[in-house]
Amino acid sequence: MPRRLLNRCNQDSIREYRAAARQRFDDALAMATAGAPRRTGAIYLWGYSIEMVLKAAYFSLIGLPETRVIGWGTDLRPAIHRGRAMGIAWPSQGEGHNVRAWAELLVRERALLPATIFPAPFGLEVQRQGQRVEQLWRETLRYRKNYAYLYEMRQMHEAAQWFLGNAHAL
Amino acid sequence: MPRKIRGIDEKPRPINGNLAERLADELRNSRESGQPMVEEEAFAAGKRGVSVIWDAWDRLSFEERTSVILKAYELAEGHEYRETIALASGLTVPEAYAAGMLPFQIIPALRRGDAVTLEQCHQAMIKEGASTLFGADKPQLRFATEEDAEAVRKRLLQALPGSDQVWVITQEGGKVEDWVER
Repeated sequence: MPRRLLNRCNQDSIREYRAAARQRFDDALAMATAGAPRRTGAIYLWGYSIEMVLKAAYFSLIGLPETRVIGWGTDLRPAIHRGRAMGIAWPSQGEGHNVRAWAELLVRERALLPATIFPAPFGLEVQRQGQRVEQLWRETLRYRKNYAYLYEMRQMHEAAQWFLGNAHAL
Repeated sequence: MPRKIRGIDEKPRPINGNLAERLADELRNSRESGQPMVEEEAFAAGKRGVSVIWDAWDRLSFEERTSVILKAYELAEGHEYRETIALASGLTVPEAYAAGMLPFQIIPALRRGDAVTLEQCHQAMIKEGASTLFGADKPQLRFATEEDAEAVRKRLLQALPGSDQVWVITQEGGKVEDWVER
């Protein structure tokens, strides 16, 4: 008998984040371009796509192997603590999903070494894109019945496209 | 077929001109205390991070705040200096507090018979940078370090003679998990 979906899933890792980020991006695109577009649903999925791109970039930067399992207590929470210690405003509510904070952590962590620091305009753009997403997306959107405006969906699409398109440079 | 290529710096940035000018003035004429609180941190390769805690950010998006900070630095320090900024963040005092960045607080612990009134204390606190965003009648004076708080406590004593016993510095206890992990 074939294994069920949840049993077929791998655990979180950089590789899994990257692959899933692309898939959720495409899922969102399908929702956004459907005959009757599901705008809020599309935004919801694009947010996760961006979150995974950023997490993959961060954990790759600090040297985690591609397939090493990423856990809450072992990796995510220590990264959040590190971000706070670096002076990043990281509210505790939904802390694992704060895209703006993850973007700033990535910029900040890269700034520790001359070899890894982003060129100034690009680093600021990473931060700016994260800030823009923070205005449009929160993981709690799944509990909301509101319909997103077209321009909101367009902004989120642009941001997700930007992060995926620049994933190699993050 | 039209072919459009957009660079990183080509998108128009929303700028609140007035705020940028005000912040630029603050950068040119740094004061001992009060808002905005500007902190610069040196990064690698001559770059820097800038954090500005200021209640004037209220109602501006994070993106707009970053643009204002960059503009202010350009006005005050020039284009070359602005280009060294790799990260720029603007937070209101309540936001910085919620993020755990301002754990120290000065509170007026008034007793009957003290030489100063609560109103005088509030005015002095606001002058030293207290936030009124928590409530107009409940200004809060918050700091990142105990040293910062102590320095302002001394200034409050000078501003309000006879208030020696009034000012108390408190510290947030933090969360249980923070203690467990120490």
